Order: sequence, then C-alpha cells, then structure tokens
Amino acid sequence: MKTAEKTTYQLPIGPIHPALKEPVMFEFEVDGERIVNVNVRLGHVHRGVEWTGTQRNPIQILYLAERICGICSYCHPMAFSLAVERVAGIEVPERADYLRVIHGELERICSHILWAGVAAHEIGFDSVLFLTWQMREKALDLTEYLTGNRITKGITMIGGVRRDITPDMHPKIQETLQYYKEIFKKLQHVFLDDKTFQLRCKDCGVLSKEDAIKLCAVGPTARASGVKKDVRLDQGYFAYSDLDFDYITPDIYTGEVHGDVYDRIVVRLLEIQQSIGLIEQCLNQMPAGPIVSEPKPLKLLAKLKNVSGEGIGRMEAPRGEVFHYVKLSAQDAPYAWKVRAPTYNNILPWVPMLTNQQIADIPIVAASTDPCMSCTNRVTIVKNQDTSFLDKEELHRMSIQKTRRLQS
Amino acid sequence: MRFPMVLRLLRQLFKKPHTNKFPVKYTPSSTTRFFADVHDGKKTICSPVETPQGFRGKIQYEKDKCIGCQFCLKVCPSEAIEFKAEEKKIKIYLARCTFCSQCNDVCPVNCLSMSNEFLLADTDKYSKDLIVE
Amino acid sequence: MIKKERLTAEEIIQSIKDMFTTNIQDARIEKRTMGKKKTEFYHLWIRLDKTIFKEAVRHLQSLDPALHFAVASGYDLDDTIELVYSFSLYHGVRHQEISVNLTVALPKSDPTIETITDLIPGSLISEQEKQEMLGITVKNIPKNTRVFIADDFPKGVYPWRRDETGPKKLIRNLHKVKS
Repeated sequence: MKTAEKTTYQLPIGPIHPALKEPVMFEFEVDGERIVNVNVRLGHVHRGVEWTGTQRNPIQILYLAERICGICSYCHPMAFSLAVERVAGIEVPERADYLRVIHGELERICSHILWAGVAAHEIGFDSVLFLTWQMREKALDLTEYLTGNRITKGITMIGGVRRDITPDMHPKIQETLQYYKEIFKKLQHVFLDDKTFQLRCKDCGVLSKEDAIKLCAVGPTARASGVKKDVRLDQGYFAYSDLDFDYITPDIYTGEVHGDVYDRIVVRLLEIQQSIGLIEQCLNQMPAGPIVSEPKPLKLLAKLKNVSGEGIGRMEAPRGEVFHYVKLSAQDAPYAWKVRAPTYNNILPWVPMLTNQQIADIPIVAASTDPCMSCTNRVTIVKNQDTSFLDKEELHRMSIQKTRRLQS
Repeated sequence: MRFPMVLRLLRQLFKKPHTNKFPVKYTPSSTTRFFADVHDGKKTICSPVETPQGFRGKIQYEKDKCIGCQFCLKVCPSEAIEFKAEEKKIKIYLARCTFCSQCNDVCPVNCLSMSNEFLLADTDKYSKDLIVE
Repeated sequence: MIKKERLTAEEIIQSIKDMFTTNIQDARIEKRTMGKKKTEFYHLWIRLDKTIFKEAVRHLQSLDPALHFAVASGYDLDDTIELVYSFSLYHGVRHQEISVNLTVALPKSDPTIETITDLIPGSLISEQEKQEMLGITVKNIPKNTRVFIADDFPKGVYPWRRDETGPKKLIRNLHKVKS
C-alpha cells in the first residue's frame, strides 16, 4: 500500500526538557530521524527580576543580579556595576580593576570546565563528566578561599571590589594555577584527541559565519564559527586593555574553521588556558592602592541618590556578552534596568544549527552553545493521533546509542 | 592513542575516591537509630571539609554593641532584618538571609560577623535556630 | 568580507547628523579611559524621531555590515514610552568597537515602531519582548507571539508600565509573616 505523500511529525520538546539544563520550549518538525524545522519559545523561568530591581537601591540590586544565574553569577553584578559607575562618573581604582579581572577569569575557568563535563555527559561519556567536575573542585576551593563562597561570590561593589587579595593568598593561587596547567594537557588529550568526541561532534550542529553575524551570536558560539567577537578585546573593560591576549578561534588549534560542535569544544578549552595566563599576568602586574572608590556604602548610596542619567555595562561572561542598561533618576531605586543575558542572543542560532540534524544530536548541539537555563523532563511524540512519551532517560539513551554505533 | 580514557579509568580502580563521605558512607536504614548510636559513641559521623577563613556562614550578632542605627536594614537585599523599635535592636531571619555579609560591612560598630556554621537545615522557617537576635 | 574604512566616533555622529538633520534631537559622545595605559573607548547616545529610526539603522549597517545588535531597553515616562536600541560597530579588531545607543520616543497615543528584523534577524526576541512588556506594536514583525510571559497572563497588563495598565494588582508579597 503506497502512501500518497510524506508528511512531517511535530515533536514538541519542553518546556522543561531533556537535553538542556533549563526550561525552553522547542517545537521540532521531524521527518524520520531528521529535523526539518525548529520553533523556539521561552519564558519559563521568567522571575520579574528587572521589575524587582526598580524597587531596590543599587547596593541591594547587586545581590539580586548575582542570583539571575548560578554559573555566570559574577558577570551580572559586575556589568550592572559598570553601568552605574558610568552614569555616576565613579572612578574605579586600578588595583580594583586587576582584582576584578582575576575573579572574572577564575569564574570562566570554573564555567568552562563545568560545561566540558556536561557536554561529555550529553554524549554519554559519564566518566569524563566525573573527571572534569573533580578537576573543577580545586577552582571552587580557591573561589571559596578568596571570596567566602563557592558560587555566589558577593565580591562586587559599585566602585571596586569588597575583598582584597593580600600577598599571603598568592601561594594558594599559584598552587591552583600550577595544578590547572598540568591537568590542561590531560583535558586536551581526553577531549580533543579521543576518537569518541571527534566521531560524534565533527560536522554536527554547524553554524556558518554569515548566520552567526546575522543572528548576533555571541561568545564561544560565535567565535567557533570564525567571528571575532569578544568584549574584552573589542572594547575592553576593567584592566583587560593592559593585558596581552588575543581572540580565540578554532583555527589556532586545528587550522580550519567549521563552526561545528567540535570547534566549540576547542574554543572553550583554549579559553581555559588563556584564563590561566591572564590570572598570572594580573598577579604580576597588580598595582598597589585602594580596592574601592568609596569604602562607606551609605555614602555611596547617598551619592547615587543624586545622580540621574543612563549608562550601559557590557562584559564578557563565559557564555558571551552580558549587557546591562541602567537609567537612574535621582531616587532610591533605578528608574529602568534591562538585563540581557548572553543566551538570549544564542537561542536564534539554534534554528540553523538543528535543521537537518538527527534527533539523537539534539542534546549535544543544544548543550554546545552552553545555554544558561536549567534541566528538564519529557518529550511528546505525536504520530497520527497516537501519543507516546519519551522522557529524559530515553532521549539520553538515544544519544548514547548513537555514540556506541559510531564507535563500533 | 585512540581512547585515552580507558587507561585512566583502569588506573582509577586503584585510587581512593575523591568524594568526602559526609556524614556517613551509606544511608543508614533508620536515621533515628543512627543518631542514637552516635550519641552513645558507637558510631561516628565523618566530618565535612574544613571551611576556609572568611567563609560566610551563619551571622553572629553582638547585641550589646548594637546602637540601633538601622544602617543594616537599608542595605539588606532580601529585607531579612527587622528593627525592634522598643529596644532599638534588630532581629535577623535566617530563612530570608542571603549570606552576603553586606550588613557586616556597613555596621559602624562592627557588631555583626559571619561564623563558619553552614549546617542550618530545619523544618520550620521561623524556628528559634533560624532567628538571630 | 573586506571591511570599509572605519569612521571615528565624531565622524559617525557627523554622518548621522548630515543625513537626518532636524530629526536628530540630541547626540552626545561619552569618551572614557580604562586601565593603567588609559586606553579610550566611546559610547554614543543619539536621540531621534521614530520616523527616521529604520533609516538610521540602515545607515549604521552601511558603515559596518556586521553590525551587532545587543538589546532594546524601554521605560515608561508619563505620556511617552522610550525605547533605547543598543548596537555596536566594528568588532573584530582590538579596542575599535564603538557602542551606539539610539533612543526613540513613542507617544502613548500611537505606540508603534517599525521592525528591524529584516535588517538584523537577531533582533526578533528583543522586539517581541518590548511588545509584551510595554504594550507597543512593532509593525511587520515576523512572529507576533509572547516570548517571556505565559500565554494565560491577562492581556492589556504590561509589566513595565507605571500607569493604570501596570501590574500593580498582580503583585503578591510572599513574605508577610503570618505569626
């Protein structure tokens, strides 16, 4: 019995969903195993943070901003602080600029290693997940030693930082950096030389350079496609303009640029190495001086209460460009505050990346852009009025089965 | 080599695991009996990893030094501090505290500090253990 | 792609003023320095009429074909809604990027603006967000759905507005102590 025409199936994935760390709603049109079209819907962890910000004074907003995201928890208060400093004309002391760079790069190391583990988990390589997350513990211990907590650092203050790095803290930092230099070779060996990753990730989830520019992709997602976009180099902030480093694109390691998942792994691993170098440069060049421009918080609040104007703060989070817009109008609380996390720009590129891929590739392609959202449960497949459920374990198993097929 | 992880996994079989087995290696079948045993000294709890100096744990409040200036109320991001007007002292609700220690920085007489206590789980948000005054 | 020669911040402002003359209400350059070496960077703030807004974006794109759109912020003043579109030009070479912010005022009696998704497809999500948060209408937007707010949120309530269409009635104070 011949079928008259071939139709596609609608595969809604989400809102809380399997392959990503956060709630996003996808509607895939699938033809067999191949994805034909993708439609993305957001908004499931919308918490009204920007509205809440208009009810609090700038120092309180720093801690609110920290809790926008757990992994990029340093970038949001820092970008907010940059915006407010630019409105109010606050000069940040030089020592504070260098300290800010050190904390930012330390967060980048933690975030990229976490991502490396998650990417390995999506492929089915759980042993690498445990290995990388164990490696990350040393960076988290260092963060706890320097700031008082592993994740929500609370080190930002408008006009500087809250804690200093004294010379007696240097040995521990040097020891951690030495540890990471040694294991970086092991990480590189496991991720980039292992055949599993190469078979699974090459030519998968390709984002061309033109698409990356048109859709305003940011961060390692854009750099892996060959677009040289990095706020630390393009415009600069803190003390990055004094440091010696360059854009990281995949051709530094492999010689070519494909824009696939493998290239994104390359970019992120090379950035870990770059961060270690940047922290060392900062420790060597750090000037002496105060760490904050106004040590008394209430005097700072009083000053900000008399300021009006608007300012923007841009920063390179581990995932891309974080953008904050602040409008102060001589009151306790800001008049307007807009937060743009990097993932919101990296969502539209999912459409060209996922088209013409297989369903089993959805986890790794989506995870390769390192979305900053949180994890999920089930997938409904609607086939000719017959619904069956694919939960997280099932989709994950499909992804692992593909790896086994390629390995044999 | 094609699969470097395999060698690494074999080596791992002979190494001690990295995880610190806090509080105990395997979940006990009865937690009440387990705690009774610990109390009598028959079993021990593996201690957690040491926190470094400067760790932001449970807040400590020296009531006598407090002057009732209310500066800490202005900077608390989650409004976890309540002012008791009659005595001119404060009351901190740990259920809302974010452990940011901003109140420590702003206090003019340094009567607030952060300890290294972090085992604060409780069944009631407003129990005595979770209110500092 | 061969980049055309880069204009300086003053030249960019001058070219916009030359093109649009009276429709520009305000244009200012903020120059700042950073670090020990005192490297400079520029933020441009331009306030223009909504009639020439799309032409201005097209002009910026002619200066840099790889124009980067960051986000569109917005706020509610008494009888106007102002949108601030943030772009950045000339990424790719160290310390050459210039941020440009275009402020457009929309009267509440006619809160409409042209879409720029045909010039920069990456601005879709931002435009959808402004529609649902401020109650403006973006003409010819390719996808007219809600993006951050749930579908069952009441229509006609705009979370960022400060007038009677604001969310005041929907706010709950979760932490009122019961005892």
